[in-house]
Amino acid sequence: MKHKNLFLPFSFLAVTALFAGCATSGVRNPSGVRVTEMRPDERGFVAGTGVESQDLVAVTDKMARSILSTPEIANAQGIPRVVLEPVVNDTRFPINKNIFLTRIRTELNTKARNKVRFLAREQMKVLEHERDLKQSGAVTSNSDPNAVEFKGADFFLTGKLEGMTTRTSRGTSDYVLYSFQLIDARTSDIIWEDSAEIKKQGLEDAAYR
Amino acid sequence: MKLSFPIWAVGVSLLVLAGCSTPQSDSAKSFSGSSVINSTPARDKVLWEYRDALTALRRGQLDEAKRLLDDAILSIGGINVGDKDAKRARRFFSGEDKKTFIGEPYERVMAYYYRGILYWMDGEPDNARACFRSGQFQDSDTENKQYSSDYVLLDYLDGLASTKLASDGSDAFKRAQTASKSFSLPAYDTKSNVLFFLDYGSSPLKYSSGQYGEQLRFRERTSLAHSATIKVGGQTIRSVPNDDLYFQATTRGGRVMDHILANKAVFKSATSAAGDAAIISGAVLGSSQQGRHSNADEIGLGLALAGVASKIFSAATVPAADTRTWDNLPQYLSFAAISLPPGQHIAKVEFNDAQGRALPNLTKTVTINIPPGSRDNVIYVSDKSTNS
Repeated sequence: MKHKNLFLPFSFLAVTALFAGCATSGVRNPSGVRVTEMRPDERGFVAGTGVESQDLVAVTDKMARSILSTPEIANAQGIPRVVLEPVVNDTRFPINKNIFLTRIRTELNTKARNKVRFLAREQMKVLEHERDLKQSGAVTSNSDPNAVEFKGADFFLTGKLEGMTTRTSRGTSDYVLYSFQLIDARTSDIIWEDSAEIKKQGLEDAAYR
Repeated sequence: MKLSFPIWAVGVSLLVLAGCSTPQSDSAKSFSGSSVINSTPARDKVLWEYRDALTALRRGQLDEAKRLLDDAILSIGGINVGDKDAKRARRFFSGEDKKTFIGEPYERVMAYYYRGILYWMDGEPDNARACFRSGQFQDSDTENKQYSSDYVLLDYLDGLASTKLASDGSDAFKRAQTASKSFSLPAYDTKSNVLFFLDYGSSPLKYSSGQYGEQLRFRERTSLAHSATIKVGGQTIRSVPNDDLYFQATTRGGRVMDHILANKAVFKSATSAAGDAAIISGAVLGSSQQGRHSNADEIGLGLALAGVASKIFSAATVPAADTRTWDNLPQYLSFAAISLPPGQHIAKVEFNDAQGRALPNLTKTVTINIPPGSRDNVIYVSDKSTNS
């Protein structure tokens, strides 16, 4: 009678073993591998993702500090005027390019007031319209409206984002080089240049591979 | 009253067998032309963003198209890791269509392609180039490397954007020329200031095949238009397809997910067969003893119960491939760059059948205003455009 008591559990055990034997196999990292941020000089196991907010903060912080230590800025007679020129995106990631220069500008304006000043060239249409109104007498003016007071640039600040992508069966890796330049408007000398590098890599969930 | 074992076993077997049909995954809903994004399950959101973005683009609602594509690209541009829906889709008892939809590579490529066009329209050729590169990247994960990153237009446009940005576009041009086996591509003309992006025909449709629908397949739809002719400012430009989405969809090769689905199918088949064998054996064993409550009765009952459990597992296993499709895509992509003087121009875009005859019902008329200056004027025309 003993075997009668054992038969039912045994049957279910056999079925369970059958199921276990049929489990998915042969797919590496079915859940994917989390994106890992790495040092640029560190050799990764594959490749990664795009430009994110932490990159923006890290890069612009570094650039703002670096600009302020430039002798032409730190030891300038008077306050140098800077105009922002659009950043060129040469990566595979569509981005809001102006955000880099905007953050560098706000960092410098916040932390290094009177060391450098930016000109609002993107507002020139509005400014010219206001000047025209003053010159025509349509609105009041506290100074001579005919005097040329729009400042010229001493330096242009611009940058470029360049990228390199690798993709293998083990994942994706993206390296982005962020480089920025300060160009003397009178001589075209590049008086300052600095760069930052970020490399990321990851592997997607098998459901998307 | 005690039911005799054979009757009970046969009854349960019939019930189990009746319940063994594979649950059908939701097939791709046909395009409704209206936004259903807010009411659709989250896992289908990107699918509807794709569809609605393209509809908006064809209606000339560019801001709406940008908004939808930007949101979709947030989902497809990252590395999808630890997604619960994706994990569920890999399990035996959930279908692949339970994962968050981001589409097959050819669909993801098209999201980037259209966003690239919109960036270029906004005077941002570098961000357009980034989109074309991301599109090419999406196509890089092919089983057969011969077909990896082989969109002609994406490389051609990458090179054109670089050339216009005073960079070197020659490498991208060479890659495009290599991928364009049939046609010699026109050299870049930096003076061209009007860029025509044309698409026509109907996208491939997905369907599943195999015993349990575990194999993803693509069906080519009949496309009326096979080429296009642009007539503007005294110029006539014939534009042939640079890329064919059916070709792109069918040359990707096997997916990692296909292995998972194949394993699910094997599991479903094996548990079904094991269940059948166990139930039949149990029934035979039980009935042969004529209800004499012998050991054989008990063994038969155990076998039948194990068989029922096995059939339940089999019935619950869903190996079906995900057939949700971005179904308002075109089949063919074309491009032409021309130079026009400042002023207003009326362009006529004719779509031609396979014999090169114009299809009058599909002809579109576009008014182009060229302002003074060097900025590119980007024109998107589809045989399904409703704004021209």
